[in-house]
Amino acid sequence: MLSLVVLSAPIILMYSWLLVASFSVRITGLVPHGFTLENWRFLGRALPNEASIWTTTLNSLLFAFAVGILEVLIGSMAAYALSRLNFAGRGVVLSSTMVLHSFPSVTLLIAIFLVLRFLGLYDRLAGVILVKLALDLPLGIWIMKGFFDNVPWDIEMAALIDGCSRLRIWWRVMVPLVKPGLLAFGIFAFLSGWNEFLLPYVLLPSQNSQTLSVLMASLASEERFADYGLVTAVSVFYILPAVLVFALTQKYLLNIFSGGVKG
Amino acid sequence: MQVALEHLSKRFGAVTAVDDVSLTVGEGEFLALLGPSGCGKTTTLFLVAGLYRPSSGRILFGDRVVNDEHPQERGIGLVFQSYALYPHLTVFENIAFPLRVKRIRAGEVARRVCEVAEMVGITECLPRRPGQLSGGQQQRVALCRALVKAPAVLLLDEPLSNLDARLREVTRAEIKRLQKDLGITTVLVSHDQAEALGIADRVGVMQSGRLVALMTPRDLYERPPSRFVADFIGTPPINFLPVTVADGCLAIGDGVPRPLPRPLRAGRYDLGVRPEHLTVAADGDLVGEVILLESLGRETLIHVKFAKTRLRVLAGPDAPVTLGQPIRLRLAWEHILLFEAESGQAALP
Amino acid sequence: MTLPTERAIEARGAARGSFLRRTLAVGGYPAFFLGPAVVVVLLLFLVPAVLTVVISLTNLSVATGLHKYRYIGIGNYAQITHSPWLVLVLKNTMIYMLSTLSLFNVGLALMLALLTAHLSGQAPGVFRVLWMLPRITPSVIYALMWRWFAAQPPYGTLSQILGWAGVPGANWMNVHPWAFIVALNGFVGASFGMIIFSSAIAAIPHDQYLAADVDGASPWQQVWRITLPRLRWPILFVTAYQTLSLLTSFEYILLTTNGGPGFYTTEVWSLYAFHLALSNYFGNTQFGLGAALAAVLVVLGLAASAIYLRLFRFGELVAAPKIEVN
Repeated sequence: MLSLVVLSAPIILMYSWLLVASFSVRITGLVPHGFTLENWRFLGRALPNEASIWTTTLNSLLFAFAVGILEVLIGSMAAYALSRLNFAGRGVVLSSTMVLHSFPSVTLLIAIFLVLRFLGLYDRLAGVILVKLALDLPLGIWIMKGFFDNVPWDIEMAALIDGCSRLRIWWRVMVPLVKPGLLAFGIFAFLSGWNEFLLPYVLLPSQNSQTLSVLMASLASEERFADYGLVTAVSVFYILPAVLVFALTQKYLLNIFSGGVKG
Repeated sequence: MQVALEHLSKRFGAVTAVDDVSLTVGEGEFLALLGPSGCGKTTTLFLVAGLYRPSSGRILFGDRVVNDEHPQERGIGLVFQSYALYPHLTVFENIAFPLRVKRIRAGEVARRVCEVAEMVGITECLPRRPGQLSGGQQQRVALCRALVKAPAVLLLDEPLSNLDARLREVTRAEIKRLQKDLGITTVLVSHDQAEALGIADRVGVMQSGRLVALMTPRDLYERPPSRFVADFIGTPPINFLPVTVADGCLAIGDGVPRPLPRPLRAGRYDLGVRPEHLTVAADGDLVGEVILLESLGRETLIHVKFAKTRLRVLAGPDAPVTLGQPIRLRLAWEHILLFEAESGQAALP
Repeated sequence: MTLPTERAIEARGAARGSFLRRTLAVGGYPAFFLGPAVVVVLLLFLVPAVLTVVISLTNLSVATGLHKYRYIGIGNYAQITHSPWLVLVLKNTMIYMLSTLSLFNVGLALMLALLTAHLSGQAPGVFRVLWMLPRITPSVIYALMWRWFAAQPPYGTLSQILGWAGVPGANWMNVHPWAFIVALNGFVGASFGMIIFSSAIAAIPHDQYLAADVDGASPWQQVWRITLPRLRWPILFVTAYQTLSLLTSFEYILLTTNGGPGFYTTEVWSLYAFHLALSNYFGNTQFGLGAALAAVLVVLGLAASAIYLRLFRFGELVAAPKIEVN
């Protein structure tokens, strides 16, 4: 137990520091000087040279929700097909899913940038969402296929005999049975979208479509470095939803590794 | 609805699971497919259901060829060995499921579900979930789900094998009664010969993908067409003795030759005699030694060492026999079965 | 007693639903289910992958624009092999991967999994949440926290703590960049292994430990002889998976040292590619050269995944479906 605490010390120290700093006028190391709420002024007034925090938050939320929902929807459909349907080329699709996941996806940014420009989706939220989907879907499909694989074949056969089309089976039988897993996966996808930095940084340059992560990066650039108070406050603001979501659902989320099937 | 299989075969890669099977199930008939594990009986059932496509041959419902019809279109009900109930739905919804797919009105759905549930005897289970039911109850729910859409053909895949012994007998009788009342053409798959013989009008025995016998239970018991079938049917199992036939006479070992009721080719044969056709008698032809006694309540099963084999004999509960004693047995010659030693084909009767 | 057959109702219902079903069933179901995923991945993953290789064969850059570029064949690749930075970048990449992998992603993860396995009650959950924090923290903030932690006095926490022990302060990230890079990436990476190893440990039947107790084995012996052998496959999996992740990850390095301090001290291959192609390190962003560097990583990734597919007996995961009709 003690050794665990020692190992975890850096984490404990750094996060407590963040919280305390956001409410302090000044902080040297771990010692705060003066309590203040001034750091949190960005909640009311827009920061100079930046869009209002609320526009940015909205962009991040939109991005995260879109990513979460679409990854689960599109991914679970594909995962079902790979798990349960019989078609030529199934092996090819399965192995390419595995191979794509092993790809160094961010190194494709250069080419993705060009493709988006070609499609007219550069600097548009829809474009970045699609890119994030494309990069995350291979692994997602693989994981969700695992969930579907855990449902016994009999149930699928019974549903066919009961007269269901495959679409109906997916929607009314399979999805309800793997709901815990899908939900957990969706939450992870949401968090991944909320935290995404590199893609918006490269593909969403203009100020109005900025996400919180890019805003943070610009705040953290050298000139602002000294205004610890402001930067830590914005950090806490940004981190909080993710930590809350995670803390509330964590037992549920870690279920994802035990198969994700109900009943 | 009559079901006919014409030269049906199914191959999975290099393995032939079903090999040229042809049979017809009459309207309202109860057919059992019996055989050891891996003989192809479940594969045949799934071919009839439409879950597998035949490699060759035809499947007909009435005079309609259904080879290319999807399972949804064939109008069948299937009870799985594992019941395959939907865990996330209540029992009511499980049974109502096929009706909801057909978009039948809610009132009508409720009526039919309750009617079927009452017929099978699980009305009190309707609001519960499958996870809260016992094995026997789950099996009945599966049966209801299959029956509620009034299928033309009912298929059952080893429905009793997951139940405990007592429940198995009770349920067996109920399934038989239901089938007679409803008159649905039914095919049941089982590896348990007592179950198949007790429940069906006719039994088809399968071995390694081929249909090796198709007869009424009684014929199967008294006139098995091959040694394999004779050995498979009947509890306790039949006894076999190697015999030789020459000049129209049969001899067990060095025993006295007995004339046969009709001439047979000379050679080696296996004589089959059921345990109930051997009796303990002071003037018996067969001399052996008692090596084991099983007291079964209604009767006693005596294991006798004879020549190089072991014979099982069924005797009354008060048989005056003790362990280790020498014993003489009489054969009921009018009931013996003869099989050619190499081919296993029946020679007598 | 017979159940009424309702031909009329059935027929009506069947006619309504079957049009869609019949259209889809003509080989259409797989297309319908896979369609969206395939389109998205094809368009924004596969096409860029091919495009990267194509661009790497040109001298596309801000200078040439989209109209004046030329195909230069393997010119970029030749330039890479003659580059004075090649050896340094390769060395950095190796250091980065090997240290982070062994010390943190596998080593620390194992330790965490083993230590939390022996706790009961709320404690394991608390530590698990704690160690997932780095992973769910937005990368920008995470990088910031570490930079502040390592900052010079009077602001840096580390300086302050060391100051109490009498050590003079400094901007520690500049002094020992590698230690920090490895540590901060490792703290994130450890959580992945920790979860996988914890599940594997939880799957070991408790009886085995009881039997070992009866046989008089010490806790260390039990770990060595019971726990670790069961972890062989998970360790292999985590190593394989994380090798690829580390090979291509550069976000945290970008946000902390950005390849410095100084000239390419902590510049790894993927970061080098990113800098050349997308950030104004020296003014003229060279897409072609950057793409060539990325293409090398792509080849490495492909080779590695081919090995993993073989290693993890991929065939078993691709069993044929049990229902033959769609």
